[in-house]
Amino acid sequence: MGMTLGDWPPYRIFWSSAKFAFKALFSWLRPAMWLTQLLVLPLFQMAFFVYLSRFVNPTATGVAFIAVGNALQVASFSSIFAVCNLTSEEKWQGTLTPLIVTPASRFPLFVGRAMFQILNGMATIVVGFFYASMVFGVDMSRTDFLALAVVILVTCLAMTGFGLMLGSVGLYMRTAMIIANIFLFIGLLICGVNFPVTVLPTWLQPLSYAIPMTYGTIAARAAVQGSSVTELAPVILQEIGAGAGSIFVGYLLFLGFEALARRRGAFEEF
Amino acid sequence: MTKLQTFWGSFRMSLLHFFADPQWIIPNIIAPFIFTVVALVLFRNVSGSVALYAVLGGGMMGMWGNTLYGSGFALAFDRWNGTIEYVLATPSRLVWIIAGRSASNAVLGLVNALAIVAVVVLAYGSMFAVANPLLFLLALILTLASLSALGVVFCSAFLLSRSAQVMTNGLEMPIYVASGSMFPIALLPLWSHPLSLSLGPTWGIDAMRYAADTSYTGLGFGYWTDLLVLFASTIAYLAIGFWLFMVVEKKVRRDATLTEY
Amino acid sequence: MATRPEKAITVSELRRTYHTSKGIFRKSRQVVEAVKGISFDVEFGELFGLVGPNGAGKTTTIKMLTTLLTPTSGTSKVLGYDIVRDVVEIRRRIGIIFGGERGLYYRVSGRENLRYFADLYGVPLSKRDKRISELLEMVGLSDRADDKVESYSRGMKQRLHIAKGLVNDPELVFMDEPTIGLDPQAARDTRAMIKQLVQKGKTILLTTHYMFEADELCRRIGVISNGEIVALDTPDGLKRFVKDISVIEVEAFGVVDADITALRQRSEVKTVSANLDGERQTVRIQTPKGSEFIPEVTKILSGAKIFDIRTKEPTLEDAYLRLVT
Repeated sequence: MGMTLGDWPPYRIFWSSAKFAFKALFSWLRPAMWLTQLLVLPLFQMAFFVYLSRFVNPTATGVAFIAVGNALQVASFSSIFAVCNLTSEEKWQGTLTPLIVTPASRFPLFVGRAMFQILNGMATIVVGFFYASMVFGVDMSRTDFLALAVVILVTCLAMTGFGLMLGSVGLYMRTAMIIANIFLFIGLLICGVNFPVTVLPTWLQPLSYAIPMTYGTIAARAAVQGSSVTELAPVILQEIGAGAGSIFVGYLLFLGFEALARRRGAFEEF
Repeated sequence: MTKLQTFWGSFRMSLLHFFADPQWIIPNIIAPFIFTVVALVLFRNVSGSVALYAVLGGGMMGMWGNTLYGSGFALAFDRWNGTIEYVLATPSRLVWIIAGRSASNAVLGLVNALAIVAVVVLAYGSMFAVANPLLFLLALILTLASLSALGVVFCSAFLLSRSAQVMTNGLEMPIYVASGSMFPIALLPLWSHPLSLSLGPTWGIDAMRYAADTSYTGLGFGYWTDLLVLFASTIAYLAIGFWLFMVVEKKVRRDATLTEY
Repeated sequence: MATRPEKAITVSELRRTYHTSKGIFRKSRQVVEAVKGISFDVEFGELFGLVGPNGAGKTTTIKMLTTLLTPTSGTSKVLGYDIVRDVVEIRRRIGIIFGGERGLYYRVSGRENLRYFADLYGVPLSKRDKRISELLEMVGLSDRADDKVESYSRGMKQRLHIAKGLVNDPELVFMDEPTIGLDPQAARDTRAMIKQLVQKGKTILLTTHYMFEADELCRRIGVISNGEIVALDTPDGLKRFVKDISVIEVEAFGVVDADITALRQRSEVKTVSANLDGERQTVRIQTPKGSEFIPEVTKILSGAKIFDIRTKEPTLEDAYLRLVT
């Protein structure tokens, strides 16, 4: 290709990084696995909590609350699990060092890997809403679809940022797998997916509000009820804030790791 | 008696590997644990032995997860390790080697379940009583046997197709739903009931609930019927597993695909 | 099996074809004939060598004989048992030692590895632990037996492989490249152990691509190339293939591929093998002309600096090269 990675303009690094992450994801997965994650997992996760809530409280509003919440939460597989594991994948596959030793601009490199997962996450949520209305009978007749689309987009971007931050934390640990596993599911408990955050103990609630998805679930339910973009602006802005904050922290951690590893002279030995 | 020797040797080796790296159990506990706590929160306004349901369900989910992962990866592990040809070259039948591993995974699933129970009880402080401990234990043991046998079927099915990992991921959630681990399967659509009832552990958890809670009605067949079906399902799974492994062994030698991954 | 069979191994027109497919969306099927109909016998108590270049079909042949692969056609009997029908009987009685790093359970001890395979082979419990200790003693791993295999050196792992291959006290042992990747001392120890096994009366079928090893160890050697056996004889017998030729060995610097091509084009030259990497390059030229041909060689290699040029007696390696190129 002639040019080295250091000569490339930022947008090119961003896209090639994204393409690499896509290929890396598929090198050991097959399309069948991606489709399972896209189509099968959301359905059954939603089914689990919907039926559980029907067991406890058979009202329609109870079911709608949970279905919409889960429709959003299913993006966690892409934005949290896959993104968090990207970095440790690179570590184990030995591709992290070649990336780090390039003089390429850091930020597009850092963010570009997550590109595919953002798109994947959005697709998963759309599938989730499809199931919510078609299978579990959520009434979407009053939905402001523009508002919902904005919420979905912002949630995916913000949660992917959160995932990148977790991935950076994972660089310091021997395995990001445990973090990825915890945060893949923790949303079910603390992001207002299955019940409002207010039900949780007060000491736990600040953690909820640090996670972008908490705002997403509130906004999504409102959009389904008919709230417009302008009405939802405050919540959406809070979600953007939480997402931006995560990306910022994650990026700092990433740079910090790089500096630390350079001092110690070992990238993959963590 | 060499079958027993193979079974036991395999069982032991699998456990030794677990003790070499016990931290890998943690990912298997996280999902069931979180699901259990969510259930407990959802159940918070319901009276009765709520903790039992949620905790029993969570424990069962932990056992299921371990069975699936353990079986799906049972031979994959040998593939990555490069030991698969040596294992295949022994005169032992593959089905007994896998049965040993599957049994060890089921037992470890029990450890999973106990870990979940311990954490939830400590965190939530809610204890629950088991009305009839001996019957409970009997149901538990038979459920473990059924899970092991099902693991053998999974393993052979996964071997006949290369996408073991896909199926493992894909099956986990559906089984949590279909086995009625945390809610009665009566809630599920009618067409899915035969599927649920074909899973031995669905009957197992029903039996455990009978033994734990005297007011439980559940599937409606009673404890001993549950146990009978559980036992029959174990035999059926083993028979299917046997047959499938015969097919696997022939295919492996014909196509030489097992050693690639 | 009422009577003892005449030969340890008989192979008759064994053939193995592979079907592979490439690509995800547009699959293309390819048919590869790995083994094209080979026949040979191995006597009891013999150390038989199977040599050939990579991809010649050695490993495929061994896998068929050890019942890991079914042949596409042809028949073979191992210890009198058919390799397709009597799989369990064969597996009970043979040992398998494939070289390399993999094939052991790293996270447990050497002793546990042996114990596991002893169980899988159905070694009677009354004999098992004693035999394991004896094997560990024989391969010199007794003091490290209870350490995890991941802490073993390459040579130690190979020794454990050998112990593992003997855990069922087999009368016939298959070894696939047993000394590959070992340092010279470890390789020498391995070869010594192999000779000991033959002295104890075991039959061994060994594959290797080290010719000097085959020359040292094997009573007879089968040369396999491109899926077919091109020669089968004792080492001396094989060397007769090259008795009519001499080898001119050149040590030089600055030889290029064009020079080698030029050499090969000469009618007097049978084969040329060259190692052109590094500073000290070696070129071996097989020619019936012997030292008469040296001036020609010097002329062709005039662009290079020649350090040494001399004639040599052909070795088994030369015979092998002659047969496979």
